[in-house]
Amino acid sequence: MPIVAIAYFLFLFSPVLLLALGSFGESWSNTLLPTGFTWRWYEEVAADPSFRRAFVTSLQIVGITCALNVLIGLPLAYAIQVGAKGGMRFAARLVTLLPVAVPDLVLAFGFILVFSSDQLPWLGSFWLLAAGHLVLTLPYTVTALVADMEQLRLDEYEHAAATLGAPFLARIRDIVFPLLSPSLVSSMLTVAALSIGEFQLSNLIAGFLSRPYPVVLLQAFYGATGFACAATIVLLLLATLASLASSLTSRLSKTKKEAAA
Amino acid sequence: MTLRYENVSFTYPGAKAGIFDISLEIGKGELLAIIGASGSGKSTILKLLAGFVSPDRGRIVIDEKDVSALSPEARRLGVVFQNYALFPHMRLWENVAYPLKVRGVSKTERRNCAVEMLDRVGMKSRADDLPAALSGGQQQRVALARALVFEPQGLLLDEPLSALDASLRVEMRDEILRVQRASGIATLLVTHDQEEALSIADKIAVMRDGRLIQLGTPRELYETPADAYVAGFVGQSNLWPGMIRADGVVETGIGSLACDTRGHKPGDAVTVFIRPERIVPSFDGAQQSADAGRAGGYFSGSVAADRYLGPIRRIDLNVQGGLIRLETHLRDAVTSVHVPADAIRLLPAN
Repeated sequence: MPIVAIAYFLFLFSPVLLLALGSFGESWSNTLLPTGFTWRWYEEVAADPSFRRAFVTSLQIVGITCALNVLIGLPLAYAIQVGAKGGMRFAARLVTLLPVAVPDLVLAFGFILVFSSDQLPWLGSFWLLAAGHLVLTLPYTVTALVADMEQLRLDEYEHAAATLGAPFLARIRDIVFPLLSPSLVSSMLTVAALSIGEFQLSNLIAGFLSRPYPVVLLQAFYGATGFACAATIVLLLLATLASLASSLTSRLSKTKKEAAA
Repeated sequence: MTLRYENVSFTYPGAKAGIFDISLEIGKGELLAIIGASGSGKSTILKLLAGFVSPDRGRIVIDEKDVSALSPEARRLGVVFQNYALFPHMRLWENVAYPLKVRGVSKTERRNCAVEMLDRVGMKSRADDLPAALSGGQQQRVALARALVFEPQGLLLDEPLSALDASLRVEMRDEILRVQRASGIATLLVTHDQEEALSIADKIAVMRDGRLIQLGTPRELYETPADAYVAGFVGQSNLWPGMIRADGVVETGIGSLACDTRGHKPGDAVTVFIRPERIVPSFDGAQQSADAGRAGGYFSGSVAADRYLGPIRRIDLNVQGGLIRLETHLRDAVTSVHVPADAIRLLPAN
């Protein structure tokens, strides 16, 4: 069994390892591994204006997607948890999960059809890209928050707070937010990881000046191998950081839930 | 302050379950327990008073004011939940002080009040701990302190002891009663544990299928149950189908029994009811039975079950035509019993 596990691990990580090696290799052509050592590719990525702009765009899209997820996802999850019962609850969950089931390509074609019309000529705009990322990531936020609200027995705490005299806003401020904050942070980091790496939808609906990092990255592979590897490693680092932070906060959230149970 | 249900009915949307035409009153300082099997509607009674659901018909009245349409936060009722519902992210004093915080009391003042309240339930030394560090019994005390700190108009206890160990349950039962008596507050206790209700309630309401079957003091319920359901639900009982044979004599499966048959006429179907502890072991029963006959209330048989419960034994005695359950503190073998005429009550036939 350990041999199988090691083989599987190598299979998964060898492309990443090769990318990392390639990003520091001076040249890599017609050899199994790159030769020489250089920081040059990273310096070139950092100096490239289109990559710099794409990097900033990606961070802006991630920030806005996370903010919109909190502003829309949290009330939506709360409404599903507190208000929706029976069939209505099932329907609400289905609608929120639909974007996960629909291929990104189909979503992108839908965006192109709707937002390239004269009435809604927003295709290629920054805000439409943010909206696209929101549609793709919202199901993860809502599903995670609804599940955590159930596990935390949030309704019981809210009932208790209500009987103690707390009006709705006080309950949200004193009970819902503090109890849900680790779940919320964990969800936002997941959303960030998803948004950073999103390519299919972005590639089809982003405008020339609003291209996020993964879309620009594709072009790097038409140039020098070392540059492409370095550019990919930058993206990989960002996504890994978000995933690691998400896992850590998720653990913190679990500890809190266990304390609540 | 009194808490009152006036002809209250409520059914859950899309279901037949609910409560029907309930009228109850809990006076100042009184503890009313609602008991019943699962699905009998006892929790719905509490939810209606707390304001978690609104009645379809009737009124909920607190201190002579109709509060049927008021939200839970506007009713000023302290509730102790089954799982305590202490806020896990707040320290104990913050939990207890929370009702004061939402009422705008200053931090210093509310901390003093909370610590004083924690002192009343013996938890002052743990004021700065988080709820997760406490045992079930300790959480129960804190929940009680939190429910009472803002001097509510009534106290609602939702199965408050069900999550505790049996040994701790008795201790907490006494603690709840002590604090409730000291506060002099109208209290509603919802429980499925009839022993808990009998031991601390001033009055008990028995629910069945959403309806109030009987309301009375623990003694009334135990001694004079309204029907066989109440008799069977509250405590242990012998319940035999019977028919009045003549004045003062009822015929049952185990034989004729002498008893007070006033209010019944010969031929009436009844349920014969007697508590197991009223059945008397008879060590020369075989002889007495032979002398007095079965109508004399003497029965002999074989032991079907003999349960050792510490201070008492609960014995099922197989006699001709049925089974007699008795409870005795005696340790000797029991094969004969006497069913005293004055211990028998006649209940409506099922």
